[in-house]
Amino acid sequence: MNFKHKYFFLFPGLFVLIGILIFPIIFVVRLSLSGWNSYNPGLDYIGLENYIRLFTDDPRFWESFFRLSFLSVTTVILQYVIGFALAHMVWKDIKFKRFFRVLFLVPMMTTPVIMTVIWRTFFHESLGPVNDLLSVFGVAPKWLTDPVIAKFTVIIVEVWQWTPFMFLLLLAGLLSLPKEPFLAAAIDGASPVRKFIYVTFPLMAPISIGAIIIRLIEASKIMDTVYVLTSGGPGTSTETSSFYIFIKGLREFQMGYAASMSFTYLIIMIISLTIIAKVLTKVLLKE
Amino acid sequence: MDLVANNLSYKPDDQYHLNEVSFNFKEGNLYTILGRTLSGKTTLLKTIAGLLTPDSGEIEFDGKNFLKIPVWERNVAMVYQQFINYPHLNVFENVAFPLKQRKIDQSVINEKVMDALNSVGLVGYEKRKIQELSGGQQQRVSLARSLVKNAKILLLDEPLVNLDYKLREQLRDEFKNLFSKGLADETILIYSTTDPRETMELNGEVIVLDEGKVLQVGPAKEIFENPNSLKVAEISNDPPMNIIEAKISDNQIRFEGIDVEAPQHLSKLTEDGLKIGLRSSDIELNENGHEFEVELAEISGSETLLHLKRGYTKIIVSIEEVLNFKIHDKVKINFKIDRAYAFHADGKLASSPFGGLNG
Repeated sequence: MNFKHKYFFLFPGLFVLIGILIFPIIFVVRLSLSGWNSYNPGLDYIGLENYIRLFTDDPRFWESFFRLSFLSVTTVILQYVIGFALAHMVWKDIKFKRFFRVLFLVPMMTTPVIMTVIWRTFFHESLGPVNDLLSVFGVAPKWLTDPVIAKFTVIIVEVWQWTPFMFLLLLAGLLSLPKEPFLAAAIDGASPVRKFIYVTFPLMAPISIGAIIIRLIEASKIMDTVYVLTSGGPGTSTETSSFYIFIKGLREFQMGYAASMSFTYLIIMIISLTIIAKVLTKVLLKE
Repeated sequence: MDLVANNLSYKPDDQYHLNEVSFNFKEGNLYTILGRTLSGKTTLLKTIAGLLTPDSGEIEFDGKNFLKIPVWERNVAMVYQQFINYPHLNVFENVAFPLKQRKIDQSVINEKVMDALNSVGLVGYEKRKIQELSGGQQQRVSLARSLVKNAKILLLDEPLVNLDYKLREQLRDEFKNLFSKGLADETILIYSTTDPRETMELNGEVIVLDEGKVLQVGPAKEIFENPNSLKVAEISNDPPMNIIEAKISDNQIRFEGIDVEAPQHLSKLTEDGLKIGLRSSDIELNENGHEFEVELAEISGSETLLHLKRGYTKIIVSIEEVLNFKIHDKVKINFKIDRAYAFHADGKLASSPFGGLNG
């Protein structure tokens, strides 16, 4: 199997790759070195000016970045814990197992934007059913307009929307575990709780790492929920990186600056996710 | 401390996995459960361990109702036919697992684990991952894990069946050593197997199990010499005992046109439907013997198994040497008829050469 034209057959794939991945990245890098905005559209060259502005003169970007970190880490941890609990619950032989398995997946089957609109209605301060119920206790939290509470509202909606995905991954993991170690553990004197700590959880570690990383990547793109629920408000208190980049690029048309933010964001994400994956592997797999 | 079971039954589907099984196991003894695959051996051991709850019946240990105690508090150890270990732990951690479940000092754990590893010959492998071990070594790890906790009841469920021939022999010898060292006199050892040879070598008290029912209980020698029924004779012999439908009259055993003089212990059995049982090793090639046709000749190890046929009678002969036969060859054989058994039409033992019943 050594003929000259074999590389020829790589071209279709390569073209697609260049078209949808390599060209956009290179173009973003070039764009970030330009001053493209609505007054001055075009690929001029202004050197590192955008990057200097980003690193010295734009606290709003960094605030939104740390807010994003907080939101994504918190939601993913919550999703993992709740998802694992639910998956563990329907992993065992319980009544209506199939029903629950499907039920827990329902949020994932809904359209995020529409569900967020519904959540927004739920959490409406004067008209929403949540505060209607809470009025019994005489409280009326400002779900969407208090800078602190709004963050947790975003977390609640995100957790509701994406826990099913975590649930699905973890349930698949649990179902693929070998049965034998559990037989052995019972005989070896491990009570159900210890069995979970010493057998189930360690065996699930590789799958957990995968699931957490996938969800972290997904969660750090969070945009639609924020956009619909609070539009980043009140003020900028729920604004995340992608939302801020969206505002700069597609509302204010500072394309060059938005490109520099996107590229910086990409680099930071690659580095931090690599570190997180390494740390998780070390902690969970003890390798 | 005795382990007593009364009428254990377990019927998860339309078949009995256990059918009114009762036994009385005494500490310091070795019990072998002999039965073919699917005879309920594993079910029985799992029931003792607590992994299964029987539909009816009782198990008592040390006077306490065993069925009320959850698995993890029963102080039972078990070795499975599959090599079951914890894939995420290394050899040392695997063996230490049962001890870690109790509040025991790390130094005591270290000592006990090394002891157990020593007795199964795995010292030096502590840091290895389970996947890096061979099947035999993996089984040794699970054996060590079952030894380390000093359980009062040690269950071995066909521990050798998935090993290759050499390892099986080797590990079987080690088992015998371990058992004869008397694993502490307070242990009840229960060993299940399909292999009659293993049963004889272990030489414990044998329980013959078939379709969930106990067929016979007794010392290995007794089971071998005086199987109480055709079934037991089949189960406790490998290859299974040859069964020949014959008639005895005028002191002659007659079948397929052959007349053999009946030995004394068979001569009085003149009933209809009598079945003569003869071990494959109790038939020999002989120039002056009766002619049979070869249906199949298999060579296993240093032994040749000849499947022979004459009329409707099929028998298996084992010969202690390697011989080449072709299908449809004619061979002449002789029966060591004084070693023959006789069974009634309903399968019950009628007479044995070792003095069972009419003999």
